[in-house]
Amino acid sequence: MAARIEARGVRVERGGRRLLDGADLRVEAGEIAAIEGASGSGKTTLLKAIATLLAVDGGQVLLEGVDAAEIAPTVFRRRVAYVPQQPPMLEGSVADNLATGPRLRGAELGGAAAGALLSRVGLPSSFGARVARELSGGERHRVALARALANDPVALLLDEPTAALDPVAARQILDLVGALAGEGLSVVVVTHVEEHAARLGGTRWICRAGRVEAREGAS
Amino acid sequence: MSYVEIPLPRLGVALGLVAVAAALSRRSGLGLAGDLTLGAARCAAQLLAIGYVLRLLFAEERWYWVALALSVMLLVAAFTSARRVEHGPGTRVLFPRALAAIATGAAVALVPVFTLVVVPRPWFEARYLVPVGGMMLASAMNVVAQVFERIFASAHAEAAVIEQLLALGASPQQALAPQVRGAVRAALIPTINGLLTVGLVALPGMMTGQIVGGTEPEQAVRYQIVIMYQLVAVAAVSGTLAATFARRLLFTAGAQLRVDGG
Repeated sequence: MAARIEARGVRVERGGRRLLDGADLRVEAGEIAAIEGASGSGKTTLLKAIATLLAVDGGQVLLEGVDAAEIAPTVFRRRVAYVPQQPPMLEGSVADNLATGPRLRGAELGGAAAGALLSRVGLPSSFGARVARELSGGERHRVALARALANDPVALLLDEPTAALDPVAARQILDLVGALAGEGLSVVVVTHVEEHAARLGGTRWICRAGRVEAREGAS
Repeated sequence: MSYVEIPLPRLGVALGLVAVAAALSRRSGLGLAGDLTLGAARCAAQLLAIGYVLRLLFAEERWYWVALALSVMLLVAAFTSARRVEHGPGTRVLFPRALAAIATGAAVALVPVFTLVVVPRPWFEARYLVPVGGMMLASAMNVVAQVFERIFASAHAEAAVIEQLLALGASPQQALAPQVRGAVRAALIPTINGLLTVGLVALPGMMTGQIVGGTEPEQAVRYQIVIMYQLVAVAAVSGTLAATFARRLLFTAGAQLRVDGG
């Protein structure tokens, strides 16, 4: 059976350097895959390649067995949400930010739906009125997650979602990721913190020299 | 038509004005005396040369000479607007696009006016086509240069936000819309300001020239109104086209942002 998300031999070269050298990854529905690795090992490149935000020089990315190249980028990216390490907040309120994805496809996000998204990421519905660019790092991560969820994706790609967060905020984000996987989402999390990868409790991978390998002792 | 002629030696007196600026520059340590001297020399040389070229064109009155003159002006305008665009993909990539944007804007402004409004006989009469064509090409050149500069610079500065919008399912058109709007607006504002203040702040060069040359002010004004409207069309058409070309260069076929613009 086709995996929810699969990278097959993905190769990315930039300026004569091979950033990804035939990376493979398979993530099933409801699975969390934690990718660890030193900085410069290709973790972020892999995530952006899976999100189709980076042109690949070889290999394939598949969504439920269908080559990403055969799916319109706008459609693919709504189904496979990517949240960068430092998610930029868009102009306006938190509610404006949450409504961005639906608005881009010509839909509206009602107040009740926005409130439900905020509560899903552990924020009160009154948070919708806050100015997005004035939020703290932890709050931004939660809002970025809620904003990605507003598109109702089937997979989430999270780049260092706990970076620059205090231990309490980091734990809350990790628990939230676990809960989302429990709802059936496939989640790929890039992290350089071993403890965070372990806490997620999913499959564990290590990115080394542009390739992805199963981490020793991983389930 | 009668006007006061300027003998060549008297041009030397006018040159004294540049000497005043150069002296002030030297005194204030602006370091611009060299540029001023070179600029004044080039200004005189280029304009004297074009004066002779225009005289030949007017005397010959052949459509192909007019076409050649406009083509050379178009090439120079396109090259100038495609040069030194920071964070852009380079002159070689931008040049053909600048050429298309400038040529289209100028054509949209020139063809209806010279077939329906001014209607010279013959239609290619150099006395009308070359100076008015030159004004349109120069305006389009500035608009295109400004749009390129702004779009590539803002895409570079706001790459993270643009990429975030793409990640949320935006098309390249949607993701770059604020930058495109900003660039085209900025390019149109000087022309709109010109429409609002013309005659109040300054009398435009062409109208002044016609009046000095002996044209009735009423007719000179009508020409100027046409020119102003043409400039609006040039700014809108060339600016929008340049923005469209820039946007296409900024994204791959797979709708990925190219921060180096190509």
